[in-house]
Amino acid sequence: MFSLLLKSMRSRIIPTSLVTISLMAAMVLLLSIERIQQGTEEGFNQSISGVDAIIGPRSSSLELVLYTVFHLGRPINNITTKTINDIKVRSDISWLVPIALGDSHRGFRVVATEPNYFEHIRYGNNQPLTFSKGGAFNELSEAVLGSDVAERLNYSVGSEIQITHGSIESIGTKHDDFSFKVTGVMNKTGTPIDQAVFLDLKGYELLHLGWKSGKKVFSLEDIDLSSLPPDALNPKTVTAAFVGLKSKLTIFNFSKNIREYPEEAISAVIPGIALSELWSIVGLVDKGFQLLSWIIIAISLIAMVTLIIASLDNRKQEMTIYRANGASPKFLAAMVIYESLVIGLVAIIGAIVLVTAVTYFATSQLNLALGISPSFKWISLNEVKVFSIILFAGILSSLIPAVMVFRKNLHQTLG
Amino acid sequence: MLQTLGLEYHYQHGKKIVFPEIEVERGQRLLISGFSGCGKTTLLSLIAGALKLQTGDIKFDDHDYATMSSLLLDKHRADHIGYIFQTLNLIPFLSVSENIALGIRFSQSRKSNVTNLNQEIVRLVDSLGLEKEALDTPVNRLSVGQQQRVAVARALLGKPDLILADEPTSALDSDTTKKFLNELMDTFDSTKQAIIMVSHDASIASYFDSVIDFNKHYV
Repeated sequence: MFSLLLKSMRSRIIPTSLVTISLMAAMVLLLSIERIQQGTEEGFNQSISGVDAIIGPRSSSLELVLYTVFHLGRPINNITTKTINDIKVRSDISWLVPIALGDSHRGFRVVATEPNYFEHIRYGNNQPLTFSKGGAFNELSEAVLGSDVAERLNYSVGSEIQITHGSIESIGTKHDDFSFKVTGVMNKTGTPIDQAVFLDLKGYELLHLGWKSGKKVFSLEDIDLSSLPPDALNPKTVTAAFVGLKSKLTIFNFSKNIREYPEEAISAVIPGIALSELWSIVGLVDKGFQLLSWIIIAISLIAMVTLIIASLDNRKQEMTIYRANGASPKFLAAMVIYESLVIGLVAIIGAIVLVTAVTYFATSQLNLALGISPSFKWISLNEVKVFSIILFAGILSSLIPAVMVFRKNLHQTLG
Repeated sequence: MLQTLGLEYHYQHGKKIVFPEIEVERGQRLLISGFSGCGKTTLLSLIAGALKLQTGDIKFDDHDYATMSSLLLDKHRADHIGYIFQTLNLIPFLSVSENIALGIRFSQSRKSNVTNLNQEIVRLVDSLGLEKEALDTPVNRLSVGQQQRVAVARALLGKPDLILADEPTSALDSDTTKKFLNELMDTFDSTKQAIIMVSHDASIASYFDSVIDFNKHYV
C-alpha cells in the first residue's frame, strides 16, 4: 500500500509538500519556543548557585537580581560599608562577599569585589569557579576576566586594561590614569560571569578617588599612592553583597532581620525565589507564544484535511480503479489516513532537524544577550509528547476525509 | 457459473429498473446492449459486488451474493473478476506495468496464477497487439486504443473467472474497435473465463455467443 500511496502523493507533490512545510514550520515555531524557554529557564536558574541571600538597598527583589546576577540595568542606591560590616559579624553568617557595580570595560561590566568571590560564588549545580589561566587577584591593581571577555578582546594573563566610568563605552569617561593587570582568566561557565571583568574593591575605590558627582576632579597621576592612609581605599559604599549562611534553615529569619535593620533601608533577596519571580514574567510572554504556535498547528492540520478532502475529487478515478480491482472501502480510507501520517511524520522529522539548527543559533544569541547558555539537546521527552499529540491530532482529523471516502465507496457504482 | 435472480434496483432519484435474468457459463461471451442510462453500469457494479443488492440475488459458482458482507464481496471481486471501464482505465502516476499489475494487487489467488509477473505482462501485452515499447511509455502518452488494451491486460492478468467490460469500445473508431475485440477474444481463455460486455453498439454482436437487448426489458 505504501508504494502506491507514495506514488499517489508524489503525483500531487506541490500541494502536499506545501501543506507538509506549513505543518513543519508551525512545529518548528512551537518547539523552538519550547526549547528556548526550557533552556532559558535552566540558564536562569543556574546562573548563580551557592548564594543563600543577596543583600542590597531596599528595592524590588527583581531589580536587585537583575543587576547583581545578570549585570543588567543599574543600581539606584548603594549600601554603606558600615552596614555590611555590621551584617558580616552576625553569628548565622558563614561568609559575605560585597560587590560594587557601575563601571565597564569596552562594553563588559566591571564587578568590583573581594578575592573570596572566586571561592564562594558558584554556578550551575553548585560548581565552583575555576581559572583556565592564572588565578584570583591579590593586589588592588590586578583584574580577573570572564572567559568571553578574554576570548573576544583577545586578552590573556599580563594584559593591561583600563576601565570606563559608567556602563557604556561611548558615554563614559575613561579612567585613563590607572590601568589594571590581568592575573587570571576564568573557565567558561555559561553564565553572566563569563562577560564580566573582576577588580579588587580597593582598586575600584582608588579609581573613583579623584571623582565627585560623576566628574573627574583630579587625576591619579598626581597622587603618590604610598602616601595614602591605609584605610583611605576601603570603600564607603558597595552595591550589594552575596551571603552564605551557616544553615539554610535560618534564611527566612535572616531576611526578616535584614529587612528590619534600623540604620539603613536594605533587604535580603533569596536568589531562587527572585529568579523564579523573574521567570514568571519572562515565562508569561513565552506562554503567549506557545498558545499562538498551537493555534498555528491547528490551522495547519485543518489545511491538511482541507487538502486531502479537496484532492478526493481529483482522485475519484484512482479510487474507482482500486475499487474495481478488489480494493475495499477500508483500504481507500486507510490510504487517506496513512497519507496524513506520512505528512505528519515528514513534518516532524523536518521540524526536529530545523529546530536543532534554530536552537543552536538561538543559543549563541541568548548567550550574547543574557550571558546564559542553555544546554543543547536533540529531543526531549516533552517533545516526544508534543509530537505524539500532533500526530494523533493529524490522524484524528484525517478520519473526516477517511470516513467520507469509506461511505462514498461502500455502495458506489464502478465508473 | 453466474446467474441473476429477480434483480431490481431503485435509484435514489426514484427510478426503478427491473433487470432481465442473466445466466453465463465458462467460455461464454455475452453482450448486453441498450441505450445509455438503462442501468448497464449498475448491473455490472452489482455483478462485481461493488454495489449492494436491493432486490433479488446473484449466484456466482457457490457464492451467494445476498449472504455475503461487503468485505467478502470485495475479496470475491479481487479473486474472480476483471473489470474494464469505458475510458480512464489507468492511474496516471503509475507505469503501464504497474497499472497492469494492479489486476492481481488485491488477490492472493490471482497472484498465485501468475508465476512470473513480468513475463506474463509481456505475454499479455504482446498478445493484445501492443508494442513492447508501450510498457515504458507514461500512461498519459498512450493513445486511447493502447490504454484500453492495457486495461484488458490488467483485467486478464491472473486469469479471473469473469471479465466485465463497460463500453470499452465507445471511445474507439470502428477499425480500432474491430482490432481490439479480435485481440480480446483471442487472448481470453475460453476454457476457464467468461466475458460480459455492455455496449450501446449493436454492430459488435458478431463477436459474442449471445446478446441480451436491454431496451426490450426496460421498465
